[in-house]
Amino acid sequence: MQLLWNELRLAVPLIVHGNPYLLSVIWFTIQVAAIATVLAAVIGVPIALAIGLGRFRGRRVLQILANASLALPPVVVGFFLFLVFVPQGPLGSLHLPVTKKAVFIAQTVLALPYIVALTAAAIQGLPAGLLAQARLLGAGRVQLCTLALREARIGVLAAVIAALGTTLSEVGAIVIVGGNVYGYDQTLASATLFEANAAHYADAVAIAIVLIGLILILMGGVSLLQQHDGGIRLRFRSAT
Amino acid sequence: MAFLWHQLRSAIPLVAGGNAYILALTWVTIRVAALSTAAALVIGLPIGLTIGLGRFRGRRALHILANASLALPPVIVGLAVLLLVLPQGALGSWHIAYTLKAVYVAQTILALPYIVALTAAAIQGLPPGLLAQARLLGAGRRQLSLLALREAKIGVIAGIIAALGAALSEVGAVVIVGGNVQNYDQTLASAVLQQVNDYTNYPYALGISLVLLALILLLMAILTVLQQRAGGLHLRFRTA
Repeated sequence: MQLLWNELRLAVPLIVHGNPYLLSVIWFTIQVAAIATVLAAVIGVPIALAIGLGRFRGRRVLQILANASLALPPVVVGFFLFLVFVPQGPLGSLHLPVTKKAVFIAQTVLALPYIVALTAAAIQGLPAGLLAQARLLGAGRVQLCTLALREARIGVLAAVIAALGTTLSEVGAIVIVGGNVYGYDQTLASATLFEANAAHYADAVAIAIVLIGLILILMGGVSLLQQHDGGIRLRFRSAT
Repeated sequence: MAFLWHQLRSAIPLVAGGNAYILALTWVTIRVAALSTAAALVIGLPIGLTIGLGRFRGRRALHILANASLALPPVIVGLAVLLLVLPQGALGSWHIAYTLKAVYVAQTILALPYIVALTAAAIQGLPPGLLAQARLLGAGRRQLSLLALREAKIGVIAGIIAALGAALSEVGAVVIVGGNVQNYDQTLASAVLQQVNDYTNYPYALGISLVLLALILLLMAILTVLQQRAGGLHLRFRTA
């Protein structure tokens, strides 16, 4: 326990005094989490709506694909992206390897399956008659989508929580595409890896504590939103 | 595209020809996945049962704790384990830092929350009367536990699938506690990381990625079939 305790004592001043390196890593982590989750939602929610509401052939295949890609190892995703990004690769002209942009893209790709799979599942789990009734009453495509998303809100927010969690915790993909460059494209998680491997344990512990704090705040915030909304919605519906 | 194609063509002989390095990695990965999942089951099933069946104070707190630890970043688990097992640490006398044993320990800790949280949730999701009835009919603690596990089989297997998935895909903890030492305590996933970042050996990284994907696909498919079959038979029995 001595070692753990010592490192913890050394770590506290680093956090309390607002070490500039630590602050820049925190800021970049928040950027990554926000940009990747929002991008994944913008791309993923329409796909999930198509899977959940659509009545076309191949929609089950899409759902299975989304579920299966949840099991893709982040390192493999990162490596495939890296092969596409390197100068000789198809997107080589964009000069993405070892940049912040590559980190944003990698975390978006990792977050996407959570958004698609969990949102589609939530929409498919809605009461059977609800959407059919809306269709019969003449709801257009936009209205139907809005209704489905509103009613499946708990599941959609669960998807957002899972996506946020991945963007905050994962290191496999971003270390490969971003190179884990000190002071540039490190997130709190990849910085923990970096400092632990460099045997800077006090720094690693400080970063880890901040990461846990950030996860608690972000996840807690979204969970509160989820429980709050869900409750009201359900009460409303059973009253009518 | 020519670049990707070229890499793939150089990777295939490595996989098909049974490259000794990749075979050894596969064997280590299977051992890590099997041992950590088995250890997590031995430790986690009793805890999951206690949370699911118990009627003591603090059981909701335990459940929330299990759910929350699902969001714990693997790098942080790795760092905590490393600080415990380093020579100066509390468990320094075990001499397991940077060994395969440390990898087993870290992956077991990562797998544990999946087993506990999903088993407890599955047991709590059983029809409300079922366990009460068994209690009334005089089932002892052992019988009750067996009944609960058998009926909640689908959820328990889902926990095993998630635990195995983490053991196969995660790199954060493995790299920190094991040091990612070639030919010793690397898993397929952490080897991809090293081949890309340290050696820029893309054919090897690609070959290892393909083997990892195949292994995940195989294990997930077997367990999913087992899960669906177990569930199917049981449900049919009970409605009859």
